[in-house]
Amino acid sequence: GLVTAIDMVNYWQKVFKTNGIPEARESSQYIVSFVLGAKTFQSLDSKSLHTPLTALHQEQIQQLSHKRLQRMPVQYVLGEWDFQDLTLKMRPPVFIPRPETEDLVSLVVEEEFQKCENSALGFPVPVPRPVILEIGCGSGAIALSLLCKLPQPNMFTCTQKQFPGEGLDSELIGKMLGLRASCHSFTFLGSAKQLLLWGPIDVIVSNPPYIFHEDMASLDAEILRYEDLDALDGGDDGMRVIKTILALAPSLLKASGSVFLEVDPRHPNMVEHWLQVHPDLQLTLHATHKDFCGKPRFLHIQKQSS
Amino acid sequence: SLPLLQAKRKRNSLNLLELSEAELEEQFVRGDGPGGQATNKTNNCVVLKHIPSGIVVKCHQTRSVEKNRKLAREILQEKVDLFYKGEDSDVFKEKKALEKQKQEKKRRAKENLERKKFFKEMQQLDKE
Repeated sequence: GLVTAIDMVNYWQKVFKTNGIPEARESSQYIVSFVLGAKTFQSLDSKSLHTPLTALHQEQIQQLSHKRLQRMPVQYVLGEWDFQDLTLKMRPPVFIPRPETEDLVSLVVEEEFQKCENSALGFPVPVPRPVILEIGCGSGAIALSLLCKLPQPNMFTCTQKQFPGEGLDSELIGKMLGLRASCHSFTFLGSAKQLLLWGPIDVIVSNPPYIFHEDMASLDAEILRYEDLDALDGGDDGMRVIKTILALAPSLLKASGSVFLEVDPRHPNMVEHWLQVHPDLQLTLHATHKDFCGKPRFLHIQKQSS
Repeated sequence: SLPLLQAKRKRNSLNLLELSEAELEEQFVRGDGPGGQATNKTNNCVVLKHIPSGIVVKCHQTRSVEKNRKLAREILQEKVDLFYKGEDSDVFKEKKALEKQKQEKKRRAKENLERKKFFKEMQQLDKE
């Protein structure tokens, strides 16, 4: 018989639900929309929703749905996902950007543009080529968004691992370079000295692994089976990598430079306390920002002005 | 919270009533999970309510939460403007203008078709 997009969504939603797949409705909607060339089900027009699907479309939907039946995250099933204005490649086990992290990018952008207004000259002066370092870049979501939104930044990313064929999409970088920005990649920690060749950094931004080790086991199968657990596990107090970044920051940052971190909601107090018992770092917790669910999620740490 | 919205907007020369964040109530279908890295939920639907008028908008146009939040505010702003201003709203006027344009186009297309039909018939008569 003739099968429409709506029929397919209903069918696969039932299959997913029967098999205990979380977000049964959302998963089937995203898969069907993707095969029809749309981002979301709500964005499909009435015609697309009611036109019978071709055999090819039905087969494509089936192939993708079978992956979802294995608890593969939707983002890996589709091979892509959106982050702010970007569509990024998604391949396991590279960590999938979470929607909260979009706000981390907005915070950095806001800070940089505020600097314009605080110019001592009394009128806004754009900061020439801000130097940004992202630690732990994963799919490149944060770095690429900042490249788009900041005025010709000098962007550095470093990562502990680079999976084969992964890293920042070189085609996208090529487009970014057309914007007269620059982007350099390094491996973690060994890069500190190389970075200093470019001069001190305005902003360090990171979404470091921040899950408490004891909470790892209770994560959904989608995460445990497919994503890189090293991108998630922050050790006993979830702060192993956070502490490493903060210990490194003073030697890399300009005076009054900033560190922006995404963290677990329990971390703001813990980090504030840790900074207080490490006064030699000369870092203070300038502000804590909430995510769109109202949870304390982002830390703005500042290096004292010398 | 972040001022990610410039609700005071003159988009496409439309002059719309400003919406202040204090008048809005926002909800996300995210469930009670811990959020952040510990969660990988894909439902990015935003439900936005304008408290004074009671108008509610649901937006799941994109796969980005931030974009859906922006779009929800744009759509809500238009609906609220229409609600309070009625026919004086730029939203109403623009819609009317578009409808008129569409009808004009239809009328002209119909005329062209009839003219062509007429000339074709004339040609037939000449041949006979």
